[in-house]
Amino acid sequence: MTELTVRESINQALAEEIERDERVFLYGEDVGDYGGLYQVTEGLQEQLGDDRVFDTPLSETTLGGTVVGAALTGSRPIVEIMFGDFLSVIADHLINYAAKMHFNYGDGTSVPLVVRTTYGGGDQFGLHHSQDPMPWFQNVPGLKMVAPATPYDYKGLLKAAVRDDDPVVFFENKQRYEVSGDVPDEDYTVPIGEADIKRRGEDMTIVAIGGMVDVAMEAADELDAQGYDCEVIDPRTVMPLDKETILESVKKTHGLTIVHESAQFGGMGGEIAAEAADEALYYLDAPVKRVAAPFTPVPFAENLEQSYLPNADDVEAAVIDALEG
Amino acid sequence: MARDSEREEVHEYLLLNRIFEEKVLEEYEDSGIPELPHLSIGQEAVGVGGTFAFEADDWLAPSLRTRAVMLMRLSLRDVVTGMYGTKSSPTEGRTTQHHLGSSENHILGTTGLIGSHLNVAVGAGLSARQLDEDRVTGVFFGDGAATRGEFHTAINYAAVEDLPVVFILENNQWIEETPAMDVIAVEENISEMAGHDIPKEVIDGQDVDVVLESVSGAVERARSGEGPTLIEAKTYRYRPHAEVIPERRDEKEIEEWKERDPVHLHEERILDDGLVDEEWIEAKRAEITEEVNSAFEFAKNDPMPAEDVMYQVYKDTEIDENGGVVR
Ligand SMILES: Cc1ncc(C[n+]2csc(CCOP(=O)(O)OP(=O)(O)O)c2C)c(N)n1
Repeated sequence: MTELTVRESINQALAEEIERDERVFLYGEDVGDYGGLYQVTEGLQEQLGDDRVFDTPLSETTLGGTVVGAALTGSRPIVEIMFGDFLSVIADHLINYAAKMHFNYGDGTSVPLVVRTTYGGGDQFGLHHSQDPMPWFQNVPGLKMVAPATPYDYKGLLKAAVRDDDPVVFFENKQRYEVSGDVPDEDYTVPIGEADIKRRGEDMTIVAIGGMVDVAMEAADELDAQGYDCEVIDPRTVMPLDKETILESVKKTHGLTIVHESAQFGGMGGEIAAEAADEALYYLDAPVKRVAAPFTPVPFAENLEQSYLPNADDVEAAVIDALEG
Repeated sequence: MARDSEREEVHEYLLLNRIFEEKVLEEYEDSGIPELPHLSIGQEAVGVGGTFAFEADDWLAPSLRTRAVMLMRLSLRDVVTGMYGTKSSPTEGRTTQHHLGSSENHILGTTGLIGSHLNVAVGAGLSARQLDEDRVTGVFFGDGAATRGEFHTAINYAAVEDLPVVFILENNQWIEETPAMDVIAVEENISEMAGHDIPKEVIDGQDVDVVLESVSGAVERARSGEGPTLIEAKTYRYRPHAEVIPERRDEKEIEEWKERDPVHLHEERILDDGLVDEEWIEAKRAEITEEVNSAFEFAKNDPMPAEDVMYQVYKDTEIDENGGVVR
């Protein structure tokens, strides 16, 4: 084990996968010599060669189209989209192309691409550089979405995404690049489609997505001090969802709180709540709570942005509200 | 000019395209076909000559109207059952034949979004470079597609990276019901829109020999590392955009184009050159008609697919019908 930051664990995963398989390459805006806007790809071009790591025009249309074409013809490309907000530009290629080609071919062909992108607020970058775009894609069958929380999961899931035969959008939370944790020195992957129980507890199930896992863990610590024993589940793969792990937990704790950074309305929280209502209603002893952003664009001013983003106090209050009424 | 045996083969493909689509029209009018026909009658020389110029393991991305790519790379049975969506169709009824992909036959799957395949084709070119493969990619698209940002971004990237891609613009003058030149801000040739530094050719799309020669040259350049070419083939479709849409083009315009019919032009030439005689042509017509008819017979009697085939969503993860992972 070595202690790595999230940034380092992604960098290592990329280097190892590009090294391991000659069909893998990494491209995008500024990912080469400069090392990427967030310096995630720092040193990779020098290490692996400019034929495996290279810069592109500022054209997400080209990135979205070419990554599909390369994946359909024997390559296993990784493309970096600088901000998740810009996924709107490649939405056509993700929704209508990448996600649907396995369905549209009769011979088992799929589209083994990885789109790496950043998401989330907290930097006062304003309404077009701070969004959590996951809900835009959550009803697109054929697309996979991965949003890890720990360095271990970042590395293992990115490696799994590169090896996966289906198209994967890999979400990196901007606020968590410096988070550190233990990462094995040997090669490993974390399976796509498998949730992880980040903390065991008996009184409440908290499902938290991506950057919100740390927030939920912090809240769980505070709640523990007040005598509430929370279980924190990290789906890790947002689509397709490991519902079974979540429902098993709800049946045990009899409570459910969901935390994500995108707006509450139309978000994954509603889906998870509906699944619980469908499959575990009679196990629930408390109202289902969602802790998420309000239904407004991500605001710029510091106090507005902080109020927009869910935090540990919000989670704590929601859990107490659910349990105490 | 192609070798004699190839010229015969090219003519067989022209006849196949024409006879097939006339049969589609007849069946559609008689008893209906589930897939709405978007016929290429009148502009077959571009698809046939264009496809013929590539090797079998080069990748081709057709436009929705490039029927030749499908007819020349798939079996007739696959094409026709594809239109009926029956059990034996390549995707067992999951998709129409229009946008079908086949890794085996090196057809890049496309989507119902006109022009979204342009950068995908460039990605296939990028892939060939990355994998050090000798493959060229050809992409067919219409004048309407050329008005999208896809067109400019695809050409820019292919050109700046010298990727082995051949862009074949099937300029049939009409974008559904809109005359192309009403919505395109160039004087004469749509390829002028691409100011990029790549070779451009404007050619007679009615003459299959011209198409074959032009595309072959572009394929050769691409294969030898000289990068992409944009070929604009001027052509025309005799039928409306799709069979549900009423014809509103000028009858005179259609008749003028029919005077330079691509099948007829080539037929005259190979007869004049003494390559084949009338009997050969009659025999080929009869043979192809028979094959086409029997493919339709097969499709019309083929059972419908089982419902479970529509859950082909992920290759690597099993899910239930509401998207939950099956563990
Ligand atoms: C992105 C997109 N916009 C509009 C349409 C509707 N549409 C389908 S075909 C077509 C015209 C296409 O014209 P062109 O590219 O010239 O090809 P042609 O039909 O002439 O072969 C239109 C507008 C579509 N399918 N996709």
